[in-house]
Amino acid sequence: MKTLILTALLGIVSMLSEIFGFRKYLWTILVLGLTGVFCVNLSELTSAYQYFPNMVVFDHYAGVFSGLIILMALVWFFISKDQYDSNEFNQADHYSLIMFALTGTIVLVSFTHLAMLFLGIEILSIPMFILAGSRKHELSSNEASLKYFIMGAFASGILLFGIALLYGATGTFNIHEIALIASNNSGSVSILFYTGIFMVMIGLAFKVSAVPFHFWTPDVYEGSPLVITAFMATIVKTAAFAAFYRLFNTTFAPLIHQWGSTLSVIIIFTILTGNILAVYQTSVKRMLAYSGIAQAGYMLMTILLTTYESQNALILYTSSYALSTLCAFAVLHYVVKIKGSDTFESFSGLGKSHPLLAVIMVISMLSLAGIPPAVGFFAKFYLFSAVLQQGYLALVIVAVLGSLISVYYYFRVIISMYSGESETESIQLTVINKAVLVLIGCLIILLGVTPGLFIDAIKSLT
Amino acid sequence: MLQLAWLIPVLPLIGFLIIGLANKKLPKAVVGFVGCGSILGSFAIVLTLLTEVLNGTIQSETLTYFNWISAGSLDIKLSFLIDPLSVTMMTIITGVGFLIHLYSAGYMSHDEGFARYFAYLNLFVFSMLILVMGSNFLVLFAGWEGVGLCSYLLIGFWFKNNDYNNAAKKAFIMNRIGDLGFLLGMLLIIVTFGSLEYSAVFEQAQTIFKPGVAQPVLIAITLLLFLGATGKSAQIPLYTWLPDAMAGPTPVSALIHAATMVTAGIYMIVRSNVLFSLAPFTLEVIEIIGLTTALFAATIGLVQNDIKKVLAYSTVSQLGYMFFALGMGAYSTAIFHVATHAFFKALLFLGAGSVIHAMSGEQDIRSMGGLWKKLPITFATFIIGTVAIAGIPPFAGFFSKDEILAHAYEHSPILWALGVLGALMTTFYMFRLVFLTFFGSFRGTEHQKSHLHESPLIMTIPLMVLAVLSIIGGFVGVPEVLGGHNFLKSFLSPIIAPINQHTGHALSHSTELMLMGISVGAVLLVIIIAAIVYISKKAVPSPEGSDLSAPHKVLYNKYYIDEIYRTLVVKPLYWLGDIFYKVFEIRIIDNFVNAWGKGVDRGSAGLRFLQNGSISFYMFAMVIGIILILFFNTIIKL
Repeated sequence: MKTLILTALLGIVSMLSEIFGFRKYLWTILVLGLTGVFCVNLSELTSAYQYFPNMVVFDHYAGVFSGLIILMALVWFFISKDQYDSNEFNQADHYSLIMFALTGTIVLVSFTHLAMLFLGIEILSIPMFILAGSRKHELSSNEASLKYFIMGAFASGILLFGIALLYGATGTFNIHEIALIASNNSGSVSILFYTGIFMVMIGLAFKVSAVPFHFWTPDVYEGSPLVITAFMATIVKTAAFAAFYRLFNTTFAPLIHQWGSTLSVIIIFTILTGNILAVYQTSVKRMLAYSGIAQAGYMLMTILLTTYESQNALILYTSSYALSTLCAFAVLHYVVKIKGSDTFESFSGLGKSHPLLAVIMVISMLSLAGIPPAVGFFAKFYLFSAVLQQGYLALVIVAVLGSLISVYYYFRVIISMYSGESETESIQLTVINKAVLVLIGCLIILLGVTPGLFIDAIKSLT
Repeated sequence: MLQLAWLIPVLPLIGFLIIGLANKKLPKAVVGFVGCGSILGSFAIVLTLLTEVLNGTIQSETLTYFNWISAGSLDIKLSFLIDPLSVTMMTIITGVGFLIHLYSAGYMSHDEGFARYFAYLNLFVFSMLILVMGSNFLVLFAGWEGVGLCSYLLIGFWFKNNDYNNAAKKAFIMNRIGDLGFLLGMLLIIVTFGSLEYSAVFEQAQTIFKPGVAQPVLIAITLLLFLGATGKSAQIPLYTWLPDAMAGPTPVSALIHAATMVTAGIYMIVRSNVLFSLAPFTLEVIEIIGLTTALFAATIGLVQNDIKKVLAYSTVSQLGYMFFALGMGAYSTAIFHVATHAFFKALLFLGAGSVIHAMSGEQDIRSMGGLWKKLPITFATFIIGTVAIAGIPPFAGFFSKDEILAHAYEHSPILWALGVLGALMTTFYMFRLVFLTFFGSFRGTEHQKSHLHESPLIMTIPLMVLAVLSIIGGFVGVPEVLGGHNFLKSFLSPIIAPINQHTGHALSHSTELMLMGISVGAVLLVIIIAAIVYISKKAVPSPEGSDLSAPHKVLYNKYYIDEIYRTLVVKPLYWLGDIFYKVFEIRIIDNFVNAWGKGVDRGSAGLRFLQNGSISFYMFAMVIGIILILFFNTIIKL
């Protein structure tokens, strides 16, 4: 709970910084503040408190996910710092919007009340609509913002409709009470209930960009400023998955025979569409958008799992995905700074001119493709083997085929980095930037070599 | 000190990281200091652990750090096992390792790859420590692969010479064949016992399998593990890489290809002695292969002219003795020989390195001679090493070799006779080496002669320490008949399977004394023969290209084993590979794969038009999706 309040407070501090003129120190304040919030979050991990009569609960699950999200946000602050130093954006406004979005993510990982789910999504989405359009004079940015907003509003409408139907069928908003009703009459649940479940599923599928609700993703990712895309692709996605998983695995699990097959179909289409479309892209940013769609397909598989272990699989996979993607965006960010373009060609010769960036990118690509010794391999391994144990053979085959295709486009980046001539233009990274990159790179490898370490750590927090 | 045990492998790892990352940016003095210092630090911790194990504070401790990999019902932990066996090995590795690091600082001082060399060497020590410290087969395997990698890197250290690269590749491939066996053995262990943890596997093995009953699974496991050992420890049929491995810098030959890495196979078998003892068939195989290798390599060693090649074949032969001992179930004896061999063979290799250093890189003993005046310390220590390997009391080699021979006699006098034969050949080629190198008159060029010098102190100090160890090293295993109580054997007894513990020597003391007398007498006789041939008659092996007698030629060409392998294995493989490439790869696999690729490519090109940027189309697609979902799930059920 303190996590939630403190994050919101940091948002208000960001707004005040403009008025009271301490904008120069805002970055430092926020980084220190988030570090503090992370520590507070750690100290709260062992307890499970309910707040606002059963609307949010800060249990182990919420704690681990908010911890992850705050960590990613910290990394994001380091990566995006120079973008804001250049005074292109209004720093205080941006940072306050980011902090409010973070508040939304924390609500999303801790809700126990459907109204809170909706609130969380809105608190998260509205800042994102604005941030997507923050390059005011650029048409593509405006387009991204508008597309995101229109489609997002549509999806929210569906979600809200679903919640209303669920209330109509059960008479409650509390997810545990709904779960009780669901498990008590899992054989004969009213049609109202089903429709509600599917509408909620559609609303959330939009947020995690599952097919056929993914159309916004490539356009919005491409049009938004790069740092905002990085935020959307990692932090927002993680939070959306945490919410999706929490709702479906605690509440609707008894009815999995009703919605499982539909979700499986969505997963298959998501994996195939994401991977196949990524093949044809010329822009790395757009490729990462499709890769995000494909990876969402893999992560959706955890929702089909009803075992306790699936929670670890989700945590491992989301952190692996988010770490690797943040890494990729960080490198892309620097490449765009050097070359002014985000095509595959602009990566050529990076291996010679910026060996560190190239190595970090290789690690990130290997991890996303699921190749040892990066953590992505073990994340996929745990996930696929857990899914296989539950008997979804076809899904695993599709997923493996999808990963196969993904090697093509991930390796395209690596190939162009190590072939072609390096150019003279170069960029001087600060020591902190280098340190952050090296740190994440090492983390990706370390977790890949000793996956047990991470899983033990998660388990020991309970 | 158990709390600090993790530092033992980590210190060399840190050394590797510092040297490896900074590479040429560090001055040589710093590299040498970090390289040697990290090993010395480990050695200090090992010594404190050793004293604790010796005085009984630690008996057998498993230190679990974290769950490494858990998949299904299999949980593999990253954990170390501290017990008499691992501590013995750790002492050898860090102790001898430190001396060789020190020596290297002098030996490699003029090499431009100095930092790279130390990085590899530290990485090697790290891997080797992981190998012996692990408390399950997977950790052992990780170290096993690590030392293989370092061996490869160091054999090909001077990578500008293509022959050296080929030698490195040969070592790597030969080892891979063995590693495959080891890997299969591990998988079979998982299938059979459901674990890789030593304690769990051995405990189960003893309850499931009863001694005396043939156990196909166990025989398969142990044979596969032994295949791994033949690769790493250079036994027939996979030994051919070790002589070629002499391409690496000489201290590397001393550390990796004599004292430590090649004994990994022996360590592994001793560690899993419970399994091997339950599979007597495998033990017989090991015994035969060990003895054959010992004799076979010794005969080749008789006629080699390269100082390092002689030592290499000698190493193969001595490793054969260790396996011979293992095959007879004399596990602690094998470890005893590992230890003494580590001392005297490291000493001999370093001595050879000192000679090569003085001879400006010359390795052919036909061009040497009379070096004792110029290299007194090298000469004295080399003699000590030679006497030790020949097995003359009270030098180290005597006790360990005698213990092996005593076990052989227990099994059968013929085995004993063959063992002695091998020992005599060892004596002959070693003294041939000494006499040709250090005695007589100098046969090299004038330039080499003017350049002869004793090595600096940093190289001779390790020689002297190892010489002392070669003299006294055998006292840890003095047999009862000579008034000792075989300390090492009782020290290692907790890790040896109960069914293998002899209650006492089956040989009577008088027989044992007689056997010792015969072998020592014969050894002395052979030394005299060698002295007559190479000192009195001043015989020098004929130069390259001259006519040799048929048996001599066969031996000189190492029984043509490399050629036989090339004809029987390599060429058919190339031929098969060619067919597979032309028929399967190009026609079938490529077409299949390319068809998939093209399919995806087309699909991508087509599907991408769906993403047309028009928001109304996107909304339309979403609505279609919603309708389909609701239709199939709810409306259809109405």
